[in-house]
Amino acid sequence: MSLLRFPLLATGLLLLLNALAAGLERQGWPLPLPDRSSLHGGLMVGGFLGTLISLERAVALGRFWAYLAPASTGLGGLGLLLWPTSPYPMAAILLGSLGLFAVITVVFQRHPQSYMIYMALGAGAWTMGNILWWLGWPLYTFVPWWMSFLLCTIASERLELSRLLQPSLKIQLLLAGAVALPLVGALLKTTAVLGLTPSPHLLGLADRTVGLGLVLTAAWFWRFDIARRTLRQTGLTRYIALCLLCGYTWLAVGGLLGLIAGPIVAGPLYDAVLHAFFAGFVLAMILGHAPLVFPAVLGLPIAYTPLFYLPLALLQISLALRLASDLLYWVPGQQWGGLFNTIALLLFLLTVLYSIVNRRLSPA
Amino acid sequence: MRLFAWLKKQPPPVPDDKPQPTLQSLLQRAVAGLYSVVDPEVGVNIVDLGLVYQIDTDNDAVHIHLTTTAPACPMAHFLYQQAQQAVAAQTGRAAHVELVMDPTWTPAMMSAAARRQLGGESV
Repeated sequence: MSLLRFPLLATGLLLLLNALAAGLERQGWPLPLPDRSSLHGGLMVGGFLGTLISLERAVALGRFWAYLAPASTGLGGLGLLLWPTSPYPMAAILLGSLGLFAVITVVFQRHPQSYMIYMALGAGAWTMGNILWWLGWPLYTFVPWWMSFLLCTIASERLELSRLLQPSLKIQLLLAGAVALPLVGALLKTTAVLGLTPSPHLLGLADRTVGLGLVLTAAWFWRFDIARRTLRQTGLTRYIALCLLCGYTWLAVGGLLGLIAGPIVAGPLYDAVLHAFFAGFVLAMILGHAPLVFPAVLGLPIAYTPLFYLPLALLQISLALRLASDLLYWVPGQQWGGLFNTIALLLFLLTVLYSIVNRRLSPA
Repeated sequence: MRLFAWLKKQPPPVPDDKPQPTLQSLLQRAVAGLYSVVDPEVGVNIVDLGLVYQIDTDNDAVHIHLTTTAPACPMAHFLYQQAQQAVAAQTGRAAHVELVMDPTWTPAMMSAAARRQLGGESV
């Protein structure tokens, strides 16, 4: 099964590179590539993050069939690149999300722990979003489902680790309430778009509910996660803690903007909310955990070097520039911010590669 | 026939002057090896985290029962490998690590040292 891991991880990374290229195209950067700007979100969430998370779960479960989920999302992502308008690649990613749900259900049956419920809710939210995506709904209508997928998945992992601090039931319920709000917002938005609700104001209420949920979840992470405590450690542990705390800050920023803005369907504020969440919060988790997860998936030793702080810093600065420019309607700032977001991620991938190769070449 | 048997005859084993470690000292070295394995996300070693359920030694190998804080932990294989390498390096014996999930790990299994390292009181 370890033979499956490398091609699946490589596929995920290939989709990340294409998602980044599509993002640059969206911002008006001329690239010598076919126009894939409309695929940016699908490639990033379904192709890259979906494949990575499903692969991580498959490695943890250690069953052959579990690898069908990342294989399906990976093939779906590649299919999107080849046939951007076909519904079949989206269907493959939808099947992959169902596969992830099945994997989590099996793990939950064996070990019924509360944090596994969050993970199952996340996979369910991803599936809901993928159904609407496959049906051809515009991204803004179902993006809260995709956000809930990642928020629930990350909340599950943070709650699991925060057990080391033995949080009380009341504290655990606070997280449940905070994470439930974006799910409620996503459901409200879907019903509003379907016309099942009488008032058009519900679209704004839905987005504000999502925003409030993000703010409250960020507050919970800041207060109860182990990151503030592990920040006092050294080396990789401290680096991970800093990534997490940066991510929680962006989560709060994205939530606050969503809460203030209300209904958003496009434009700079839309860019700011989505990228505070996806680039600020979610990618901070990736930056923090990639030195653990990539080698774990590939069966290699941990790849850590203090050089990892460079792409992390570049991502923070460029994202701040991008969001400030979004709020000021300053297009060059948005574009340069986006470009350096991409450069930060490329620099990060090169650092991971350097660290792995360096570790393998140096004597044990 | 006798010549053939003489040719095949092996020299008698030379007694090893080095004293063989006792099982007790092997056990101590194995524990020292496990103390050097740190969960990279929390920065606490796996013994203080309560992840080591059992250690047995015989003259040939060290047998370890190891668990993880979560059943679907992607770091399980990493910790398994680290424990195996650290114990083998410390004891000079083969280390057989078995990942077990029964009983399920709970935070109560952490040592006081781990709690102190994570900032003392629970939240």
